[in-house]
Parts: sequence; structure tokens; C-alpha cells
Amino acid sequence: MAAILLQTADWLFVVDNLGLLLGGAAVTIALTAASILLGFAVGFPAGAVEVYGSDRARRLVEQVGVALRGTPLLVIIMILYFGLSISSSAFVTAVIALGLRSAAYQSQIFRGALQSVDDGQLEAARAVAMSRFEAIRHVVVPQALRRSVPGFQNEFTIVLKDTSIAIVIGIGELLTTGQNLYEGGQSTAALEIFLVVSLVYFVLTFATNRSLDRLSNYYAVPEGTT
Amino acid sequence: MTQPLLSIDDLHKSYGSEEVLEGVGLEMDKGDVTVLIGPSGSGKSTLLRCVNRLTEINSGRIALDGQDVTGADTDVNELRKQVGMVFQDFNLFAHLTALENVTLGPKKVLGMDGADAEEAGRTHLEQVGLLEQADSYPAELSGGQKQRVGIARALAMDPELLLFDEPTSALDPELVGEVVEVMRDLAAEGITMLVVSHEMDFARSAASDIVFLDDGEIVEHGPPEQLFQNPTADRTEQFLSRLHAHEETA
Repeated sequence: MAAILLQTADWLFVVDNLGLLLGGAAVTIALTAASILLGFAVGFPAGAVEVYGSDRARRLVEQVGVALRGTPLLVIIMILYFGLSISSSAFVTAVIALGLRSAAYQSQIFRGALQSVDDGQLEAARAVAMSRFEAIRHVVVPQALRRSVPGFQNEFTIVLKDTSIAIVIGIGELLTTGQNLYEGGQSTAALEIFLVVSLVYFVLTFATNRSLDRLSNYYAVPEGTT
Repeated sequence: MTQPLLSIDDLHKSYGSEEVLEGVGLEMDKGDVTVLIGPSGSGKSTLLRCVNRLTEINSGRIALDGQDVTGADTDVNELRKQVGMVFQDFNLFAHLTALENVTLGPKKVLGMDGADAEEAGRTHLEQVGLLEQADSYPAELSGGQKQRVGIARALAMDPELLLFDEPTSALDPELVGEVVEVMRDLAAEGITMLVVSHEMDFARSAASDIVFLDDGEIVEHGPPEQLFQNPTADRTEQFLSRLHAHEETA
């Protein structure tokens, strides 16, 4: 089966256009990086507010989070691009949509991680005269970040794959590039194109997950009672 | 007349409708080692935690060096620089080595330079016999070692008063001795200590005062020989005989 596929299929076409596909992959990486960063920059403080914030701030963050998590990403992108036209740049719009949606999920990863750190840690830090902020910053957050890695890996993978939704507002990311090659009528090699596209997604998710594993191992501390 | 280091006056504390401390008064001079004993639920730990304001009081007065520290305008962090605490469950910072546990406060709070804090930290670890474990993480230490790091962490802030909240209660019996020994050394060095503990060995050999607390009030207060040999209150006598019976069977 595999042999037949290799012999008969139009792989040469894919090889010829590999440069285009890799260009699309570069846009995918840029979209992912920008969205994850925005998601972290908004999601981490949001998670902290849900744990340590005032009642009013906490309620506000929770409600925004529920709305964002309850709306399909495709709909968020369309509202921001066609409905509100928040930016003339499709790239910027996609980053905001992916980033805010990711922030809503990342906030829950960090909320859970912050809550999982024993209250005694905060108390012991306060007892050596740290302010509440210093205690959270120097004692709770470093432990919570370590515990967030598995959840963060999931979120990273989801955002990376969901950048493909940016195809609906015409961003030349990986999937769009593949789609254009096929729809341009230059080739009927749909299967070959989309197999290579999915392989690139796989390599990207696999590589980033492995890198995060390494990071996590590097910062790992022995577990147990304290 | 010298001023007491710690002076607690008519302290009241309630959780909801339950009154945990019902007008407690206590004084400690510099160098005193006061051991609080009493049945579980008598308010010992609450009293201790009121002193460094991990727990807020309802009414009364706590003064350190003559300064009221219970007011809303008191800087609790300034207070806690003067009053160290050792916890029952150790609460060592899990992501930091023993040495880093000891140096975090001096670095972040006292603004000590890294090298100075480490040098002082090693001295404090040596004081509790754990210099060799400086680079171990809490999870790699035994309970007794953890608690000794906890003591070193509190000492590193160079406090005027050290609070101990049942420092040996979470330890296996064979590990109690090493912690008691360190505490006895500190007492001998003249460090002022307020200790919640039923460790009778320590109370007999190192305490200057024993305070018996029951139902939120101080029932009896005196030097160890007097309180242990000739308790004046029935409640004290009953408690001590129960404690004694427990020690016999343990």
C-alpha cells in the first residue's frame, strides 16, 4: 500500500513546492508564538486574580473566561475580523483571537497550579516578613509554574494546531499554503499535500513538547513533603 | 525597671461564636524560654499565631519592646522581622535547597547581599548541624532535618523572639531528640523562645516558665519545678497526670 502510494502519487509536486509550505509553516510558528505569549501575558495574571484577587476582580475575570471558553474560536475570529474589524491586519486579529482564547484556558491552568501549592508555603513566607506579593512571587509562583507544565504543553499543542483556523481570514499560514497549492489547479495531489502539512504540524508539536519536557526536567525539584 | 520583651494583655480571640482566647495575659523578658502546655483546642497555637499576627486578635494588647503591635497602623512585616516562627509541619519552601530556604528571607526582606546571606546561612545551618545538607531539597531530608532547617530559617532573620508551634508533633519519635537538642542549645544561648510543646524533656530542662492554658485562659503559670511538682490548680494536676500516663505508655 505504502509502496503503491509512493510510486503513483505526485510527490514531486510537493517537493517542488516545499519552500512555499515551509514559508507557511513559518507563519504558523509566528502565529503560535505570538498567541501563546499573549495568552500567557493575560492568562497568568488572570489565573492569579482568580486565586488572590478581590471578590469583584475575581468575578469579572471568571465571567470573561467563561464567555471566551464558551465561544468557538472560529466565531471569535469572525466577530473580531468581520464584526468588529479590530485591526486591518488579519495576522494581528488572529493573534488577538487565539491569544485571548488561550488566555482563558491558560488562566485555568495557572489557577489550578497556584491553588495546589500548600497554604503553609505562603504562611511560612509571610512569617519571614515577606509581603503578600513577595511571598506569592518568590515562593508560590515558582512552585506553581513547575506544576503548570503538563497543562501548558496541552495548551501549546492546541494553539499550534488551531492556528489553522486563521485560513478563514486569509492568512498564509501552513494550512492555507497547502490549500492554495491544491486549489490553484496546479496539481491534484491533495492527499500528498495535506499529508505533508499534517507531518509538519506533528513535527512542530512533537518538538515543542519535547523542549518543554526538557525545560521541566531542568527545573525539576525532588517531590515530597516539606 | 526593665521593660518586658513581650507583653500580652487581656487578649481575646473568637472564631465565629467560639471564643478561643478569653482574656489571656503573659509577659516575657529577654532570654526567657516560656513553654505553653494545655489540652488540644485550648488556644495555645492561636495565642502563638497572634504574636506575629498570622492570626488577628479581636481585642486586647500585644506589645513588643513596649510597642503596641496590634494596631491597624503596625507594619506586620516589621513585626515579623523581630518575631520568627517555626511550624509544626515545617513548611520549608519546597522548590529551594536547605541553604536557599535559610537565605531567602535575608536576601529578599533584609536586602542582604547574596554572598553575605549565604555565608550567614551556612553558619546557621552549621548551628543546627546541617551544613552538609546545605544543597539538599526539603523532600530529600528527614523530618528532624527539615525542622532543623526550619529553625535555621527563622534564626537567619536574627529575630528578638522565636515562636515554636508544636515543633516536634509531626516527627517520628526517634527524630524528636535531635530537634529538642537544637532548641535546648538555643535556650542556653539566651535566645528568647515562646514554645507550644508537650515535650516534657525540653520543658523540664530548658524552660524558665511553664504556662498551662485550658479553655482559652491561663490556668497556671510558674517555673517548671513548681508547676510540675506542685501544681496549684486541679485542672493542671489532671492534665499533667494524663500527660504523664501518656508518656509512660509511649
